[in-house]
Amino acid sequence: MSKLKLWFVQTMMISFAILVGIIIEGVVYSVFMGEDLASFNLSWLQLLSVVLTGAFCSIPTLIWLTDNDLPKSKFIIRLVLHCIGLYVIVSLFGLLFKWYQHIDGFIMMTVIYFLVYVFVWLVTLWLYKRDDNKINKALDDIRDEE
Amino acid sequence: MQVHLEKVNSKDEEQAVIKAFEITDEIKGAIELLEGESKGFAVSREGKTYIIRASAVYYIESVDKKTFVYTKQGCYDCKYRLYELETMLGGYFMRCSKSMIINLRKVRNVRSQISGRIDATLLNDEVVVISRGYVKEVKKRLGLG
Repeated sequence: MSKLKLWFVQTMMISFAILVGIIIEGVVYSVFMGEDLASFNLSWLQLLSVVLTGAFCSIPTLIWLTDNDLPKSKFIIRLVLHCIGLYVIVSLFGLLFKWYQHIDGFIMMTVIYFLVYVFVWLVTLWLYKRDDNKINKALDDIRDEE
Repeated sequence: MQVHLEKVNSKDEEQAVIKAFEITDEIKGAIELLEGESKGFAVSREGKTYIIRASAVYYIESVDKKTFVYTKQGCYDCKYRLYELETMLGGYFMRCSKSMIINLRKVRNVRSQISGRIDATLLNDEVVVISRGYVKEVKKRLGLG
């Protein structure tokens, strides 16, 4: 996949993940803090900020996570850097575009960020495992006998 | 055995279906012939030239513009380039990274790493890497894609 295409796909995925985070935040405020769910809305500037954040967050992905021939230890170091890098970008954009007015909003964003990050990786690993099982089953049918 | 031949519009649609009561040596030979496994090609080692069957090959690697063919009997030099062998062998031989062709029939199992690469353990217990970018093609060759 070309770098440009990968950047575009990553931008879409990360923007979607941020929107999921915003929805979770809205539901939490509504269910646990008694706020009116109908009053929860997003302005065009906030939506634009989500896409911009997604675009910027794709850059560390392109830099650190596209070389899949790395040994496990080096990859994990890059993964940690990636997680922190994305968190810094999301936090800065959150401040810049006023996603949260108080510290509790920032804390909630932090919690949601790490939950979504872990969730995305768990799903990725599950998809890898599913691929492995399918391929191994198909290999059983064609394998040479030795 | 009756043979039916049906013309198709493209190479992708080509397939052979063999309906057999039992798998005899003749049928095995026909399968090898259709899958390109019976093809032989020239390799060399210590100044001697040999013809090896494709079915004996585990993987083929290119290092510093030289091509090496790995079999159960060891490693051989080969005058062909990777892209030539890829076209010549076809079937279950496929590119698994920029510098390697793997024979899928010699793979015992595969296991994904967290980085996305796939470690393929061969029948001789060697482990070769399948880059994530080639997984789609692996699945296609195995009839999964």
